[in-house]
Amino acid sequence: MSTDTDPNAEADAPRFDRVDWEAYAGGRTGRVSTTTKLFALTVAPIVALAGYDRVAAGERETVFDAFAAATDLPLQAFGLDFAVTAVDYAFAATLLLFVWYLVVPLFQHPRIASHYWRRFKRNRPALVSLAWLFVVFGGGLLGPLVLNAPEQNILAGHQPPVGLTVAEANVPQCVGEVADGRCGGTWEYPLGTTRGGVGVFTGVVYGMTISMKIAFITTTIVAGIGITVGTVSAYAGGWVDEVAMRAVDIVLSFPTLLFFLLVLYVYGAGLGMFIVVFSLFGWGGTARYVRSKALSVSEEEFVKAGRLSGASTRRVVRRHVVPNTASSIITQLTLLIPGFLLAEAQLAFLGLGDSSIASWGQLIAAGRSDLAFAPWIVLAPGIVLFLTILAFNFLGDALLDAVDPEATTEAER
Amino acid sequence: MGVAGYVALRVGWAAVVSVIIVTVTFGLLAAAPNPSVQQAATQAALEGGDPQEAVERERQLRGLDEPLHVRYLDFLTGVYTLEWGWSEYRSQPVTTALADAVLYTAQYSIPWTILTVLFGPLIGVYSAANMYTWRDHAATGFAFFGYAIPNFFFGIILLLIFGVWLEWIPIVFRTEVPAFSLANARQLAIPVFVLVTGSIGAIMRVSRNESAAFRNATFMKTAKAKGVSPLRAYAYHVMRPTLVPLSTTLVGQLLAIFLGSSLLVEVVFGIPGLGRLTFNALVAQDTNLVLGSTLLFTFLAVVGNLLEDLAFTVLDPRISYDDREL
Repeated sequence: MSTDTDPNAEADAPRFDRVDWEAYAGGRTGRVSTTTKLFALTVAPIVALAGYDRVAAGERETVFDAFAAATDLPLQAFGLDFAVTAVDYAFAATLLLFVWYLVVPLFQHPRIASHYWRRFKRNRPALVSLAWLFVVFGGGLLGPLVLNAPEQNILAGHQPPVGLTVAEANVPQCVGEVADGRCGGTWEYPLGTTRGGVGVFTGVVYGMTISMKIAFITTTIVAGIGITVGTVSAYAGGWVDEVAMRAVDIVLSFPTLLFFLLVLYVYGAGLGMFIVVFSLFGWGGTARYVRSKALSVSEEEFVKAGRLSGASTRRVVRRHVVPNTASSIITQLTLLIPGFLLAEAQLAFLGLGDSSIASWGQLIAAGRSDLAFAPWIVLAPGIVLFLTILAFNFLGDALLDAVDPEATTEAER
Repeated sequence: MGVAGYVALRVGWAAVVSVIIVTVTFGLLAAAPNPSVQQAATQAALEGGDPQEAVERERQLRGLDEPLHVRYLDFLTGVYTLEWGWSEYRSQPVTTALADAVLYTAQYSIPWTILTVLFGPLIGVYSAANMYTWRDHAATGFAFFGYAIPNFFFGIILLLIFGVWLEWIPIVFRTEVPAFSLANARQLAIPVFVLVTGSIGAIMRVSRNESAAFRNATFMKTAKAKGVSPLRAYAYHVMRPTLVPLSTTLVGQLLAIFLGSSLLVEVVFGIPGLGRLTFNALVAQDTNLVLGSTLLFTFLAVVGNLLEDLAFTVLDPRISYDDREL
């Protein structure tokens, strides 16, 4: 076999002793990687805008208005006319984090990416789930820029979805066509309207934004705390490990929803507080998982080799342990997101959520009293919520199979 | 360390966790302005009195002028001696209100728990025995459906179908029917079904995947070679080892659903149980009752986690007590 190969080609083939290890290892420690620099560069404008918001923008004007007035830039033309909250800044920063540390690395390492992709695409439900999550993600990101914010219009209340009709007695005024006493739906409101005349479709799209914010920000905070506590616990050992794992026990046995109710009762709470409370009590499982993973990875030969060649503990953890646990961490986080989305919807449904945001739960709550004759108000957001939770579960399962076929039972726990 | 030592240690730890939770709760309340103090001030101002004086009086009345550590110790003793105060909204002691509500919560929680514990592992093992057949796929589909559908949404939909359209079940929960009667069974059937669907999925998946490992084990081969019937083989050789890892999931799953969804399900179906009491207390701004019900749920969570760990210890004799995690 080796006799027919071209000797030149063999010389060009990658060989262990000719690999430029410096290029792979990313140089010495202490030097900031290109990714980090790019991340810092892109996140700087957001931080600057947030600072500007605090310092310069008035109480009653949005930061974009203030900025546009100061610089004569037509920002409204780009759909940038909404009020920006702390959650929005956190969301933007988190998105950049995901782009630079998850999406870009996948493109930088096409071989590994295609390896995972091959294993992942065998699972057809997971592919569909991924497509659906892209729809939710895209809708949540672009929808608010394209569609106007949901507005009340009493006269257009209870309009049916396209293709359905409703008895004329149930609608204040029919926007679509009336045929034998029944009001038909119009494309102006593809999924009908609520009692207040808010388009259900618009509501669902705006709800996607809320859900994406919750998913991204909580995941980032949970990952940050979980990975830090998990790896420190595994590497420090001794009393640090003991204290950290006891803290994990407490966090895990803390009924977060009830604790949030208490916080809500005492202080009142919006979306930002929801995200903070749920992520501060959501990292227990991740930390425990990372710890056990880090302990098993640290037994591997390559970690020993790294230590023998004089790498510091920090370097071993950052360059060998965390990257090797990353794939399982991502899986674990994917399976956590549905819980957060569900909790938000539940609170919104009870009327205890942030009433200033248009989440799916708010929409379900709004339609509950009209369920008998206008079921679309509850059904549309409810089904979207169901599909999103289902998609995250399927995706988590498939990722689990893709990165670690042995661990199927672990994540089910 | 023997079993007794381990159990003692684990119970001690549960006590510590409960104290920590109570402390956090106290910190939360102490750091915030007390709503009743503000109410007193508003009332005084409305009636033309001196708000400052009213605030002082109210603070004195509530013992808020005491130093922090005294209030903390008072709070701690109050919580652990079950002196949970008076519920303004219910006009009865908090503990009595909670005890009344528990009866209604138990009416659907007990059948729900029994059904889940009974059918979850059974369907899971059945699924594993028929792996990759249409039965397995159907069970898996059902598991994912139940896991993903929000309980409150599912409840609303079923209430619409069976309550409003078909009129099979009453839309509003009737408290006057006796607990053990057909009418009560009928009005609780849908809530129980919703909760079972929500909690059984995860248990089915775990028992399916766990028992899949035992299905092809050598002891199963031996059993089959000896001519043991499939039913007996699965019941004795697959089900039993499956139950050990399952026990860790089971309590946690049930607890999670109980704490999260019972609130929603009770509100949706109008059952006057613990969840609805908590919700009403929140809406009515009844601090003592809010505190009492959240603490009750919290203690249930702590005790549940304790039982889960103890069950795991008793069921799995293979691990020594010394290197066991608390």
